[in-house]
Amino acid sequence: MRQALIKKAKLLEKIRAFFDYQNVLEVQTPHLLSHPTTDVYIDSIGMSVNRDIQQQSKFLHTSPELEMKKLLSQGSGDIFQICQVFRDNEQGSQNFNEFTLLEYYRLNFDHHQLMDDVAELVKSLGVKGEVVKLSYTQAFIQFAGIDILNTDFDVLKLIAKAHDLSTDFEWIEDLQIFLFTALCEPELTQFPICFIYDYPAVQSALSKVEGRIAHRFELYLSGVEVANGYDELQDAQAYRQIFNRENDKRQQLNKTVMSPDADFLIQLEKPLPQCSGVAIGIERLITSID
Amino acid sequence: MAYYSTSQFKNGLKLMLDGNPCSIISNEIRKPGKGQASNKVKFKDLITGKTLEKTFKSGESLEGADVMELDMQYLYNDGNEWNFMDPNTFDQFTINDSNMDDVRGYLVEQDMCVVTLWNNNPISVTPPNHVLLEVVDTDPGLKGDTAGTGGKPATMNTGVVVQVPLFIGIGEKVKVDTRTNEYAGRT
Repeated sequence: MRQALIKKAKLLEKIRAFFDYQNVLEVQTPHLLSHPTTDVYIDSIGMSVNRDIQQQSKFLHTSPELEMKKLLSQGSGDIFQICQVFRDNEQGSQNFNEFTLLEYYRLNFDHHQLMDDVAELVKSLGVKGEVVKLSYTQAFIQFAGIDILNTDFDVLKLIAKAHDLSTDFEWIEDLQIFLFTALCEPELTQFPICFIYDYPAVQSALSKVEGRIAHRFELYLSGVEVANGYDELQDAQAYRQIFNRENDKRQQLNKTVMSPDADFLIQLEKPLPQCSGVAIGIERLITSID
Repeated sequence: MAYYSTSQFKNGLKLMLDGNPCSIISNEIRKPGKGQASNKVKFKDLITGKTLEKTFKSGESLEGADVMELDMQYLYNDGNEWNFMDPNTFDQFTINDSNMDDVRGYLVEQDMCVVTLWNNNPISVTPPNHVLLEVVDTDPGLKGDTAGTGGKPATMNTGVVVQVPLFIGIGEKVKVDTRTNEYAGRT
């Protein structure tokens, strides 16, 4: 018991030393927010507060992303945060309603520079092994024989069917993600440290898109996804479009439409500086360290 | 038969997969940082005994398999078919000899075992964890060896060959662990 506590405390200490050395500032942002996430497949935990004064709805943050981006737009410079985050409808040996996230942003980094930095970080924390980088396209060719950027939704459904997998998907990106989980991820267990980068534009989330490619990456440690990083979108208009798209999808799936954080969009009228950011699951990371 | 959604999946649940009844061994929810959850499920095919792995979209449903496990008494075999009886109903069931490969060496007449029925047809037999078998052939024993430092092969009355201590002789009854095919003591 105490052993596990010591291991986590030492890890957090090393993370702080890593960022201190690079002049990345530790910050804390509010965990209790007025707006839930709009992300289609992440659910905020909501609650009612101030019942005796004036009742309000509040939501535990699912990630500190938007609050940290508010700081970035106001000129915070490089920042990191280690915090508990909360998500509804999560269960399993790798998914929890509450977990510890390390989130950090580096100014003037693109996603490749951030991958290099994340590799340095996890190595400094004791993750051993060679660093492998595979583009999403390469991974799909190598492990599933699918040319993912040039395969349309109907053909992808035929491929799923041939593998005796579900074809019941509303959008191509959901089927791409499903096929990656079913066909590619099992192969990633062979790599101690593996970055998958440059996703199809339809999976851009909050990352910059260049042509058909979204500048984002995920880090897998022995097949377990531990980090998700973006070359970040910068201006309010881009974020507004993403939030609206997520809400359109929510509506089609009969999920509650979530009003986006208006303060965030107002603040981003002064755009974010060029930066890349990443979220790293600490519990999953710890299991990769002896 | 009822359908079960991935949210109802649990270990031991019997479902139809590719036309065969299967039992869930493990069910792992996989949730990507962005995107929909899926379930990675490991099954044991109850007909072939093979382990299968399949990824499901969360919310997908599978048909339940009408599988029952009943305690039955093993009666006899005639070389082609093995006969079992449910002691509560006296119903008799037969299993083809070709489906008995893994367990044939552990069934002793009158012993109780577990018979798995699918749509009321027996598909597999699980013998008790320990059975008493008689040694019908083995090399002569060595005097003085009591600890079972070495060991030698011995053929049992059911045909199965088990490694036994050197002091065990022909005609003796020994306890055998049916899960590991190991000698587990004398009676």
